[in-house]
Amino acid sequence: MTRALGWVAALGLAAGLTAGFGYAPREAVQGNVQRIMYLHVPAVLTAYLAFGLVLLGGIGYLATRRMGWDRLAAAAGELGVLFTGLTIVSGSIWGKPTWGTWWTWDARLTSTAVLFCVYVGYLLLRRLIEDPDARARYAAVVGIVGAVNIPIVHFSVKWWRALHQPSTILGPERAPIDPAIGLALFVNWLAFTLLFAYFLSRRMEIARLEEQI
Amino acid sequence: MTYARRAWIVLWKDLLIERRAKEHANALLFFCVLLLFLFQFALGPDRDRLAAAVPGLLWLGFILAGLLGLGRSFLGERDNDCWEGLRLTPGDKSAIYLGKLVGNCVLMAAVEILLAVLFGVFYDVDLWTPAAPLGLVLALGTIGLASVGTLFAAMTTQVRARELLFPVLLLPVQVPVLLATVSATQALLLGQPLADVAHWLKLLAGADLVYVTIGLLTFEFVLEG
Amino acid sequence: MPSNWGYVLAAYGIAAVAFLAYWRHLARRARALAARRAAKARAA
Repeated sequence: MTRALGWVAALGLAAGLTAGFGYAPREAVQGNVQRIMYLHVPAVLTAYLAFGLVLLGGIGYLATRRMGWDRLAAAAGELGVLFTGLTIVSGSIWGKPTWGTWWTWDARLTSTAVLFCVYVGYLLLRRLIEDPDARARYAAVVGIVGAVNIPIVHFSVKWWRALHQPSTILGPERAPIDPAIGLALFVNWLAFTLLFAYFLSRRMEIARLEEQI
Repeated sequence: MTYARRAWIVLWKDLLIERRAKEHANALLFFCVLLLFLFQFALGPDRDRLAAAVPGLLWLGFILAGLLGLGRSFLGERDNDCWEGLRLTPGDKSAIYLGKLVGNCVLMAAVEILLAVLFGVFYDVDLWTPAAPLGLVLALGTIGLASVGTLFAAMTTQVRARELLFPVLLLPVQVPVLLATVSATQALLLGQPLADVAHWLKLLAGADLVYVTIGLLTFEFVLEG
Repeated sequence: MPSNWGYVLAAYGIAAVAFLAYWRHLARRARALAARRAAKARAA
């Protein structure tokens, strides 16, 4: 089942690359560098999905005390950090030619960096506790605080500074988007979600086997 | 015993301990004085530069003092084997959290007011004219800092590498509180009316509400360990 | 607007390396676990 999912994800990524480089047109204003978007936006959406699952796993564990929920939270936390890291790196690389700098303290970059730090802390906490039940409980609390903090971070940083182009996918002010670019984004988002599901499933299976030893 | 009474007992016990063992509070206050020196050395003697940096430095000082103060709020319970006692307390455990939180807020507020007065004197900033609105910002910021801080302190007390893990967990979560309080303080020091920082105050109040609610709801799971 | 293919390549390259590294990390952990389980089964 997991293996099949892996192949589907690999196929999806191949389709995503084809859509992003072969099908989608060269963007008029930014040129080819805009194609980083097909990596950047799906990565950040997947990261948010992961942090949502960390929250879900934490609440599930505290409510039921079943280790399965904790395995979900642990795997999703790890993947969330991976995808947030990719978001920051790809955004930084995209920023250099378009804004002329690798890093600016603009709203969206800053809040993504803050999220990254919160969940690196989450992983550190998990590493430092031996007892499985205490680890699951503490991690659940940090995961819940981290997730409810996301909107608070979002607004505080937004009011603090703004320079980023308005978000194309999330947010009320929907910028007009070329349908071909939209389709390429959708295919890549689907591929990233499949890849995430594959990694999540493998990571959870490993955690389950580790608990049995 | 009522809920409020149980929270009050925890608060009273903590304040009494702080009053009897003054060494900790004194060391914390002295640490704040040292921070003033450090900031001065880091920025040099230029008055204008110092004045521009004051809101940030002030809150950096509060946060550093808060990290030290909050981090040890459950150490007494652990070292004196009172953890079991807290765990076995009948009734809703969130009363313990509430008592601890109020106690931490009182202590932090005391340290912060002193630090603010020192800032006013040594850096020649006028903190008196906007004193009332500044007090409001300070109160809201302190609740935000202490609410998550108390929860995380209870957790990290039981973990090895506590001194390191506590700030590593707390600081990123507190970024909104820092941004809101520094921005509001800056505006107030520039003489802007309270209405101009209303959005920051609303954000702080909302954040406080969320943090305290989460703390009350999850504290019993932390206490189990 | 210049093409900036170098930046695009760098971004996708880093992502590919990260995914492959994570995939290999998972595979290695799974193999180590399988070996330990087999050793335990033999010992039992």
